[in-house]
Amino acid sequence: MARYGFVIDLKRCYGCYSCQVACKANNHTPQGIDWARCISTETGTYPSALRQMLPMVCQQCAEPACKEVCPTGATLQDENGIVTVDKDVCMGCGYCMMACPYGERQVVEDWKTYFPDAEGDLDVYEAHCKREWEKKNGYGVATKCDFCMDRVKDGQQPACVETCPAKARTFGDLEDPESEISILIRREGAFQLNPEFGTDPSCYYLPVR
Amino acid sequence: MLILKAQTKWRWIIAGYLFLAGLGAGAYATGVVADFLGGEWAQIAKIGVALGFPCVAVGCGLLILDLGKPQNFWRAFMRPNCSWMARGTLIIMTFMGLGAIHIAFWIWPFSGLGEAEGLRQTLGVVGTVFAVSTMVYTGILLGAARPIAFWSTSTLPILFLISALSTGIMAVVLVATIQGHGHLGVVHTLAKLDAVVIILETIVLLMFFQATHRVPEARESARRVLAGPVAPLFWLGVALLGLILPLLLELTGMALIGSCCGILGGLILRQVILLGGIHAPLKAGRFEYGLPIV
Repeated sequence: MARYGFVIDLKRCYGCYSCQVACKANNHTPQGIDWARCISTETGTYPSALRQMLPMVCQQCAEPACKEVCPTGATLQDENGIVTVDKDVCMGCGYCMMACPYGERQVVEDWKTYFPDAEGDLDVYEAHCKREWEKKNGYGVATKCDFCMDRVKDGQQPACVETCPAKARTFGDLEDPESEISILIRREGAFQLNPEFGTDPSCYYLPVR
Repeated sequence: MLILKAQTKWRWIIAGYLFLAGLGAGAYATGVVADFLGGEWAQIAKIGVALGFPCVAVGCGLLILDLGKPQNFWRAFMRPNCSWMARGTLIIMTFMGLGAIHIAFWIWPFSGLGEAEGLRQTLGVVGTVFAVSTMVYTGILLGAARPIAFWSTSTLPILFLISALSTGIMAVVLVATIQGHGHLGVVHTLAKLDAVVIILETIVLLMFFQATHRVPEARESARRVLAGPVAPLFWLGVALLGLILPLLLELTGMALIGSCCGILGGLILRQVILLGGIHAPLKAGRFEYGLPIV
């Protein structure tokens, strides 16, 4: 029993997109589908323009909007707070995509190749990815980040956390007051994204400055 | 620069479902009210009730067609305790069941039942409760998606209810005219009644857009629909085809063309609302981010 969560330090992220690539490598997502996305925004005008990154991950909300709207019961929440989709129950209506405030839900209709101009079969690496994707997720159903539960069960960190060269991402247990993330949240004025939707995300962000 | 993109998942097929569910329920409710009026209205009653079940059934067919895994469609009502889609599925299934029984009253070997006025009208009243629920539900379905402020208003279910009644009445007028009842006084009365409903719909549509002023994503939705890429569809399809033309044609006695325009306008209204659906930006301190793809 735990409540797994993230602390993402916006001061540290410099937008190298390693998390996005590591997530892809670990979860074999097809082209255009990213579970650990890094998104950016710009404010101000030259010479005082600013670019700020926002590393994303499924927020594994305590009150998930996606679970609330799911008509089939395919959306499940385990005892560690991880929200998953049962691919055999999901009917692919897309309602969760509308309800998730964080855009972390995707319905994948079919495998979209990384090399649309290549002739012949998929190369061995992509064919492997396609097989793994079909084994775990499949098509026509909602898919999402699960905090790399396979890795966490093996005592490893989620792929995006392990790979981040800036150490902007920290993973841990929110219920343990002595965990690194609990300490960071207490000390550094952490906040959740868009709390107005009442989802109580398990992902916290540390302010830019 | 904050770039807010509209959702791309729900398009024409879902618009068709929302539209047909509304039209069928609206026509059924019209038929039941006509049944209570009696006399010449008996013809109208039959047409209205006969349109209810088939239209909603075709609409549900479209919905199933749009699913990523259509073979799992039967699970759609498993979580009525929290999901509006599950609640709506139950409402629509009940409505279709009642609508089908109501139609069966006129078909051998059950035709004797249709003569039992009390039984038929009781069924009609219960059916109408579910018809109204169906019409309202199509709006609540979208409204329950909290991050999309354009949909998440209390005016949307009212807009869809009134549009569903209007398209339902127009469908009845259309079928009655095609069947050669166009000269009947009741058809003219129905067309005039629809003109009133269209004026009401225009007012609710204005209120619907008025409700978009509060948050940036809803303002962007309104801009997208009224002056952006969706504007031609809105002004030609909804404003002209769906409201102005049917109003003028029904008041001048050209109900056949008028109702065709109005019905098409009802479908386009659903599509326009779907195309305007924009998620709230993510807010991290003083920085705002548009969702990349939905």
